[in-house]
Amino acid sequence: MGKMIYSILKAAEDPGQLPAVLSGMRGISDADFHEVSYDDITAVVCDVQRAGLVTDRSATMDYAGVIDSLFKDFTLLPVRFGSVMESEGEIRNMLERNHIEIQKNLLKVEGKVEFGLKVFCDTEKLKADRSIEPEGTIKSVNDAEAGQKNQVYMDYVKKKLAEYRLEESVLSYVNSVIKEITECLTGVEATGKFKKMASPANIIDALFLIKKEMTAELIRVVKDLQTRYPDLNFMLTGPWPPYNFVDVTIS
Amino acid sequence: MNENVIDRSRDITILEVLDRVLNKGVILTGDIVISVADVDLVYLGVKLMLSSVETMEQLKSGKH
Repeated sequence: MGKMIYSILKAAEDPGQLPAVLSGMRGISDADFHEVSYDDITAVVCDVQRAGLVTDRSATMDYAGVIDSLFKDFTLLPVRFGSVMESEGEIRNMLERNHIEIQKNLLKVEGKVEFGLKVFCDTEKLKADRSIEPEGTIKSVNDAEAGQKNQVYMDYVKKKLAEYRLEESVLSYVNSVIKEITECLTGVEATGKFKKMASPANIIDALFLIKKEMTAELIRVVKDLQTRYPDLNFMLTGPWPPYNFVDVTIS
Repeated sequence: MNENVIDRSRDITILEVLDRVLNKGVILTGDIVISVADVDLVYLGVKLMLSSVETMEQLKSGKH
């Protein structure tokens, strides 16, 4: 038997609030939740049989659902699914050892929500629109004295150069879109993370941490961006607990 | 918007949930106990999803 940790949260001003919320929820394998606290931070845990812990549909979704429910009432740090410790004492020691780091992260995400923004694009069309011819400097070497062997080599180099320039051009376009998104989000005061070319179609995979009250403004900005870039498709998801803005690794 | 389009967008939302729950958050190294079984894609049903009609149509046609 172990203790599965769902999240670490900041203690509420009303000490009765968390027990009241937890009393209406069930953990993995229908177990009761309980709290393990140190100072002003609390881990929400439930008993679990290590051997029976499986990432099936209901377990994973129920796990996310519990964190979502807690997130409505508390500032929290989600804990990765499957994090199990032996006993309450071990968890309390973990909270004590990492107290400063946990507090720092709780402060960073307090009153904030995470959003994901994926930007999709028909990359083949984008490449076709931005197709670039190899420059003449290559051709100047390609004279009659080059011979058949050199010709094969030069054709290869020209092809590779064209591919490189095309990739560079597409990346430059992606960078310009990211710059535009960043500028448009200035008023939202978002902390952002951008991943370029997550897949051939998904040219931008972004994450934002914003104040809860800025949600409507973020949606307005994304709608505006969609209007400005009709060839791109913007997909916004959220609000999420701050999964991607937690920086705590516990050994 | 037909049901297939909605199903595809639900799948994407579920992938977002799984990516977060399984890969993000506070990490306790050495204490992860997971075995994978039957990870079906279902809709959690609590998330906002904002997307253009074009996106939905492309999802419908399987371009993404």
